[in-house]
Amino acid sequence: MSEKTGVFICTGYGIAEALDIEALCKVVEEECEVPYCKTVESCEGSGLQEICREIEAQGLERVVIAGVSPRAYDDHLLPSNVLIEKVALREHVVWCQPPEDEDTQMLAEDYLRMYLAKVEKTSLAEPYQPEEELSKVVLVVGGGVTGMTAAKEAAEAGYPVKLVEKTGRLGGWLGRQHKSFPTSAPFRELEDPGIDELRSAVESNPLIDVFTSASTSSITGAPGLFDVALSSTAEGNGNGQELAHFRVGSIVQATGWQPTDPLASLPYGELPDVILSVELEEMFRESGKITRPSDGAEAKSIAFIQCGGDAHVEERPYCSSICCMTSLKQALYLTEGAEDAKAYIFYEFMRTPGQYEDFYRRAQEESAVFLTRGKVEEVQQGPDGKLHLKAADTMPGGELEVAVDLVVVAAGMRPNAADGEAIRAYEDAKLATTNAESDNLREEAAKKAEELSAHAGTQILNLEYRQGPDLPTLEQEFPDSHFICFPYESRRTGIYPAGAVRQPMDGSASRNDATGAALKAIQCMEMAGRGEAVHPRARDLTYPDFFFQRCTQCKRCTEECPFGVLNEDEKGTPLPNPTRCRRCGICMGACPERIVSFADYSVDIISSMIKAVDVPDEFEEKPRVLAFMCENDAFPALDAVGKHRLPLSPFVRVIPVRCLGSVNSVWITDALAAGFDGILSFGCKHGDDYQCHFIKGSELADYRANNIKKTLEQMQLESERAAVHQVQITDYAEIPKIVDEFMEMIERVGMNPFKGM
Amino acid sequence: MGNDSQAGGAESVASNPVLVEPDLEFIRNLQRSGGRDLKKCFQCGTCSAACDLSPDVGTFPRKEMARAAWGLKERLLADPNVWLCHACDECTRRCPRDARPGDVLAAIRLQCITEYAPLRFLGGMVARPWHLPLLLGIPAALLALIMAVKDPLAGFFGLAREADAKIVFSFTNHLPHWLLNSFFFLVTVFVVTVSWVAVRRFWGALRAAADPGVYALERGEAWRSLPATARRILFHRDFARCAQEVPRTYAHALVFYGFVALTLTTLWVITIHINPLAGGDLRYPMGLWEPMKVLANLGGAAVAIGCIWMAIERLRPGRKASVGSYGDWYLIGLILAVVVTGFITEVQHFQRLEPHRLLAYFVHLVTVTALLLYLPYSKLMHVVFRSTVMLFEEHYRREGEEVSKNA
Repeated sequence: MSEKTGVFICTGYGIAEALDIEALCKVVEEECEVPYCKTVESCEGSGLQEICREIEAQGLERVVIAGVSPRAYDDHLLPSNVLIEKVALREHVVWCQPPEDEDTQMLAEDYLRMYLAKVEKTSLAEPYQPEEELSKVVLVVGGGVTGMTAAKEAAEAGYPVKLVEKTGRLGGWLGRQHKSFPTSAPFRELEDPGIDELRSAVESNPLIDVFTSASTSSITGAPGLFDVALSSTAEGNGNGQELAHFRVGSIVQATGWQPTDPLASLPYGELPDVILSVELEEMFRESGKITRPSDGAEAKSIAFIQCGGDAHVEERPYCSSICCMTSLKQALYLTEGAEDAKAYIFYEFMRTPGQYEDFYRRAQEESAVFLTRGKVEEVQQGPDGKLHLKAADTMPGGELEVAVDLVVVAAGMRPNAADGEAIRAYEDAKLATTNAESDNLREEAAKKAEELSAHAGTQILNLEYRQGPDLPTLEQEFPDSHFICFPYESRRTGIYPAGAVRQPMDGSASRNDATGAALKAIQCMEMAGRGEAVHPRARDLTYPDFFFQRCTQCKRCTEECPFGVLNEDEKGTPLPNPTRCRRCGICMGACPERIVSFADYSVDIISSMIKAVDVPDEFEEKPRVLAFMCENDAFPALDAVGKHRLPLSPFVRVIPVRCLGSVNSVWITDALAAGFDGILSFGCKHGDDYQCHFIKGSELADYRANNIKKTLEQMQLESERAAVHQVQITDYAEIPKIVDEFMEMIERVGMNPFKGM
Repeated sequence: MGNDSQAGGAESVASNPVLVEPDLEFIRNLQRSGGRDLKKCFQCGTCSAACDLSPDVGTFPRKEMARAAWGLKERLLADPNVWLCHACDECTRRCPRDARPGDVLAAIRLQCITEYAPLRFLGGMVARPWHLPLLLGIPAALLALIMAVKDPLAGFFGLAREADAKIVFSFTNHLPHWLLNSFFFLVTVFVVTVSWVAVRRFWGALRAAADPGVYALERGEAWRSLPATARRILFHRDFARCAQEVPRTYAHALVFYGFVALTLTTLWVITIHINPLAGGDLRYPMGLWEPMKVLANLGGAAVAIGCIWMAIERLRPGRKASVGSYGDWYLIGLILAVVVTGFITEVQHFQRLEPHRLLAYFVHLVTVTALLLYLPYSKLMHVVFRSTVMLFEEHYRREGEEVSKNA
C-alpha cells in the first residue's frame, strides 16, 4: 500500500459490539500493510469532521472509511482532492449478520481488503476539457408554442438562441387556432391562444435569431460543440440551399405533432363534408363561420367523432389528451352563435384531464350539445343532402342515427419525430443489398430494407451520429427517454425533446414542458463546460478513456452505447465524444480488449477487488459468491436489507457497479479463477417499461450472461453458477431470498473445482 | 340494446326507427319546469343503482337522463319508468354531478301531463306562475256569474227558493245547493272528459313505445289487473319499497287518505236525497259529532297535516333533495288553501259570523273549483297517470323467465 493511505474504522452504530475491531485493524495494518489505521466513534457529524481533520493532518491521499453506507454521506463535506472509498459496515455487515460471528468478521475483513484494493488503483478524475471553448447557444428546432416558449425562456435566462422553423411563420398548430380551450380556473371561457404575443416577444428578443422556412440539414459534434447547418425549406429555387452555419451547445427538439390518419372506416377524403378537427379550426379562424365544404352553406349541425384517428386502434393505443377538449370547444363555436344549432359528440371515453373536467361541465350546460358514448358504425350521404351518422351502444339507448351538415373527425396526435435507429438500420440494410458477402445475406438485407423503407428520408434533425440521424424512439415514435424516472430526457445528451413531440399534450402543458427543456439545455451546457456528467450521474468528473493501441475495431462499443456517444472512423475505430457520455461504462462492459477505463472504475480496479477477497479453501465449507449490484437500484436495496435487519447469507461479497451493462465478462472468469463458487448479478428491470437508468444496460447484461454461460460450460463448470436477476429498489426483501436460493444451488452443484488453484 | 331502437319509434321517421332529432324546446321546457340541471349528467349510473324502485330489467333513471339531455321527447313521454318513480330523491342526493335526476323525472312528468291533455294551453297556464291570478279569477268569475244568474235560472227551471227551505242560513240564498251541485257536476264532466282523452292518448303511446321484450302486449283485458293495481295504490306499496324517505311516505299517505275521506263525505252529502244509507234526510249544518262530519274533519285535518309536513320536508335546510318546482308548490299551496278555507268557513259558520262566512265560503269554493278544474293539467293529474302506468305495469310487464335476455 502506498504510504499516504489511511483507514478509518467506525466503532459506533453497534459495529464495535458485533465485530472484533482489533482484528480488523490487524488485517488493515499487517495484512494490507496500511501505515495508518484509526478508529472513530462515528463517521457522521463531529466524527466526520474528525476524519477530515485527520486526513489533512496526516496528508492522506487514499482513504477508506468503514462505517455507514456510502449513500449516508454528504459528499461535499469530504475533501475533493482525496480518494475516498466507503465501506458500509453498518448496513451490509452488522445489520444483516449475527454479531460476534466468525463469518460476519470474515465478511467485514473482506470488504476492507476489497476497498483498499480499489482505492489503491483509483486515480483522481481530471475533468474533460476540449481545446475549443464550449458554446452556450441553444438551438431550438420547431417554432410552435413549445419552440417559441423554450427560445423565450432560454433567452430570458441570458442564453443566445437559434430558433428554426420549417414553415414560413412562427406559430405552429396553436397559431392556427381561433381560440383555445380555457387553461385556468374557472375553466369556462375560451381563451386567446396567446401566440401573437409570444411570437412578437420572440421576434423582438435580441438574443433570439429566428430562421423561418429552414431546417437542420446537418448537426455534427456533441454537447457544447454541436455544429449546425441550416438549409432552406422555401418553395421554389431556393429549396435546399444552405442558409446558415453555426455552433450551439445544446438542442431543444420542439418539432410538435400532426394528426393521426382518420380511421379507415370513416369516409374522410371521400365525402367532402367529413373533415378533421384541425380543418374546422382553420376554417373558423379564417372565415369566422363553419360551412360545408361541399356547397359552402353554413353548417347548423355537426357530429364530432372522438378517437377518430388510428390512435383508436391497436396501432396507437394511447390517448392524445386534447381531442375531447378540442371537440367540446368547437361544439361551443357552433352553439354559442346560433339558437338552432346542434352539436353531437360521440365518444368512447370522454377524457378531459385534471381540472379540464370543469370545461366539460361547462360544455355540458349547453342544451344544444349532445354527448354520448357510442361506437360510430357508419357515416353516409343521405338523400336529404345531409350526412347520416349511425352509432351503436349509445347512452340514450341502443342504435342511434343523426342527420348532420358536417362530420368532424377528432383524430389523435402523432409526434413529428423520426426513428433515428430505424433510419440507420434502413441505410445499413440498403448498403448491404449490394455489399454483403453472400447472395443469402444480400437477399436478407433487401428484405430488411423493404421492411424499413417507411423510414427512408424521414430525418428531421440530421444528426451525424453513428447510431442514426435522429433520436431513438419508442414504439409509438415518441423519442425514447427514461420514462419512469426522467421522462424529459432523451437518449442523446444535450438534445431535449419537448412538447407534443415527446408526449401528447396541450398548449398549456407544452409551455411548461418547453420551460423545463430550456432549463435542461442550459444545465447541460453549463455542466459540460465544467467537464461534468449531466445526467444521471450528475457532476461525475470521470469519463471513459480509450487505450486505442489495442482497439481491434470490433465496433461493440459503438453499437452498444445506448447514447450514441461514439462515432467511428472509416476503419471502425471509435471516436469518443465525452460530452455526449453518461458515464455508465457500458462500453467498458462491452470491450473484449478491456481498453476502456474511468479514473475510479475500470476492469483492473474491479478485478483487483475480486482478487482481494480471501477465499477459504474447499475443506472449510465456506462458499463464496460474488454479487454485482447496480448502483441505482440493487445496491440501495441492499442498504434497505440492512435497515430492515433482514438476514443475508454471510458468504456473499458485493461489488457495486455503475450499471450492470458495465460488467465485463472477464470479471466472471477472474472470480471463478479466484475460487468464487458463483456469481450473481442484480440489475434493473428491462423490456418495454425498463427502469435501467442507462436504458439498455441490464438488458445487455442479460444478453451477455448467455455468452458467459457458454464460457462456463467450456470450462466444465455448471452454467447456473452465473445468474442475472432484476430487482427494483422496493424489492429489497427479495434479495435475501434470491441469495438463499443461489446458495442452495451451490450446495447442490458443489464447490468451485478451481478453488485454491 | 336492440330493443331500445323499437322503444324509440314515436319521434322517428316511420321508415327509420333510429333516426333522432333532439327537441331543443322540450329540453328548455324541462329545464324551466324543475329539470334545470339535467345536462349535467355524465351517465355514471349511480342514480339507477341507488333507486329502490328501478326494475332489474330496463333500470331507471340513468337512461331517462340521457334521453332528457338529448331532448328525445317522444321516448320520454311514453316511458313508464318516469311514472314508476315515487320521487324519494335518493338519486338526487347521490348524484355526483348534481344533475338532480329526481327533479328531471318530475319535470318530465309535468311535461307528460300537459302533452297528452286536450286544450293544451291550459297546461301552459298552470305551469307558469304569472298565470295564477287568471287561473283563480276564472272560477271566481264563474261562481260570481252563477250567483248573478241564479234567480232567472231558478225561475227558468221552476225551482222555488223553498226547495232549500230546511236550510235556514243566509248564504244558501246566494249559493243554493242545487246550483252548486249542477256547477260542480259540469266541472267534473269536463275534468273526466279531458282526463279520459289524455289517458287514452297516454295508453296508446305507452303501448306503441313498449319494448315487447319487457312488456307482453298481447295480453288483453287490462281491466282485469285493476284490483291488483288498486291494492298496490291503496296500500302505498311502491312508496313502502322506496324506503329512503319515510316521512314522505306518511305525509303522502295522510294527504291521500284525507282526500279519500273528503271525497266520500262529499259524495255522501251530494247524494243525500238519493242515498238509501243516508235515509234521504239532511239536517244542515250537520252536528260536529255526526259520523260524516267527523270523517270530513279528520280527512281535512289529514290533508292539511300531510301538506304542511310535505312543505316542511321540502324546505328543511341541509337536505340535498329537491325543494321542488313551481308545479309542486302550486299543488301543495292549492290543496292547503282548499282545506284551510274549508276549516275557516266551518268555524265561522258555526259562529254565524256575517258576512265573513259567506266570503270565506266563496273563497273556499274558488279554490275547490280551481283544484278540480285544472286537475288534468296540474301535478294532481299524477293520480291518473301514475295509476295508469301502474295498471300498465301490473298487466303487461313480463316477469322472470319471460323477460328477454337482451332487454
